[in-house]
Amino acid sequence: MNVKEYISSGIIESYVLGLSSAEEAEELERMCAAHSEVYQARSIFEEQLERNAILLGVQPPKKLKTLILSEIEIDAELLASKRMPAVTEEKKTPLIFNFTPRLWKRMAAAAVVLLATSTILNFYFYYQYDKYNREYSNLLSAKKQQDTEHEQMQKAMQGYATTVNVMADTNMAVINLHGMHNHPEYSASVYWNKKSKDVYLMAKDLPPPPQGRAYQLWAMMDGTPVDAGVLDWNNKNWLTPMNKVSAAQSFAITLEKEGGSDSPTAGSMYLVSNP
Amino acid sequence: MLQSRDASAFNYLYEHYAPAVYGIILPIVNETEVANDIMQEVFLSIWKKIESYDPAKGRLFTWMLNIARNASIDLLRSRSFQNARKNQPLMETVNWNSGYHVMQPEIDAIGLNKLLEKLKEEQRVLIELSYFKGYTHEEIAEIEGLPLGTVKTRIRNALIQLRNLMK
Repeated sequence: MNVKEYISSGIIESYVLGLSSAEEAEELERMCAAHSEVYQARSIFEEQLERNAILLGVQPPKKLKTLILSEIEIDAELLASKRMPAVTEEKKTPLIFNFTPRLWKRMAAAAVVLLATSTILNFYFYYQYDKYNREYSNLLSAKKQQDTEHEQMQKAMQGYATTVNVMADTNMAVINLHGMHNHPEYSASVYWNKKSKDVYLMAKDLPPPPQGRAYQLWAMMDGTPVDAGVLDWNNKNWLTPMNKVSAAQSFAITLEKEGGSDSPTAGSMYLVSNP
Repeated sequence: MLQSRDASAFNYLYEHYAPAVYGIILPIVNETEVANDIMQEVFLSIWKKIESYDPAKGRLFTWMLNIARNASIDLLRSRSFQNARKNQPLMETVNWNSGYHVMQPEIDAIGLNKLLEKLKEEQRVLIELSYFKGYTHEEIAEIEGLPLGTVKTRIRNALIQLRNLMK
């Protein structure tokens, strides 16, 4: 019989429906392993049968599901409890006994063996428990670290989004600030929305302020400096919103004590813009 | 996932296959109460034996079908159910010491049984005896007074017919 004849002989159907003899079943499994056409033909019939069985299925009574699932649950719990260490097992001896000393000896020996086994098992389970516990806390700290990183990413993304929005606004004027004679290499930009009066500072190229100090922005109007806010150094990589400024001829940045000053400290002027 | 005995996966399995499995059991045992018992037995043994399911030997459903059919046939045999069903007075069958004293009307044309109606009588009988009653080919040869080879060929042809009737 060639493969084609074999496939159409009805043996596949007979096997799938459980009607073939042991030898026929063995032969078919061999044929399936050797010829993918046979395997495929079997799969096709199986799928066909499954489809039909589902199509022609009969809904069993609802209570059956509850019954079966509760039995499964009991079995699952039993299974789980079997995996736990049995601590008190060796203590379970029947209450009333009338045995010879010989038997007692044997039973004592058996109890010792049980106790030893149980002890070993306890160690084993404790080891497992400890291992999983460590793995769990490692996972937990990895997760925490990821969360922190995620939060930082989010913040950065928000910062960049603000930056892009601000820069895209056509009412925005860009005012460049240059380093004074003491720091000619410093530069920063003020983004000033003349319509909404919003002010943003981009100070990416400034060095970090010394401990306990902060950069403060000033709006210069007729020679009088008006506080425009202190730069939050954590935000220096993107546009930082500052105080609103309604009118100014130029801007300046000074180094002040943390939290800012009411008026700029003399000699601390770092950057100014051209008027 | 199922093979690691996950109860929620089993819940899904039940939702998906319970009607199909019930449709296999019912036409074999022909009694709702009995079929309900077998259903419990079958799904519990699916749960317990899931590790022994070998995908190389066929689809999960095929495996379940065979568990369901075997359990149903086993019951037919152990309770000599077939005697009770063949128009014998109830008195003679009371000794099966179970709760099923009242026979229900036969449940016809349910599940895979539905497909049988369209087969030729001769083929229908063979499928009935082998698949639904669980007789071996040898037993059928004896019942029908046919050579074993003929029985085998005819059953296979009947199965091919049955397959052609499927969607």
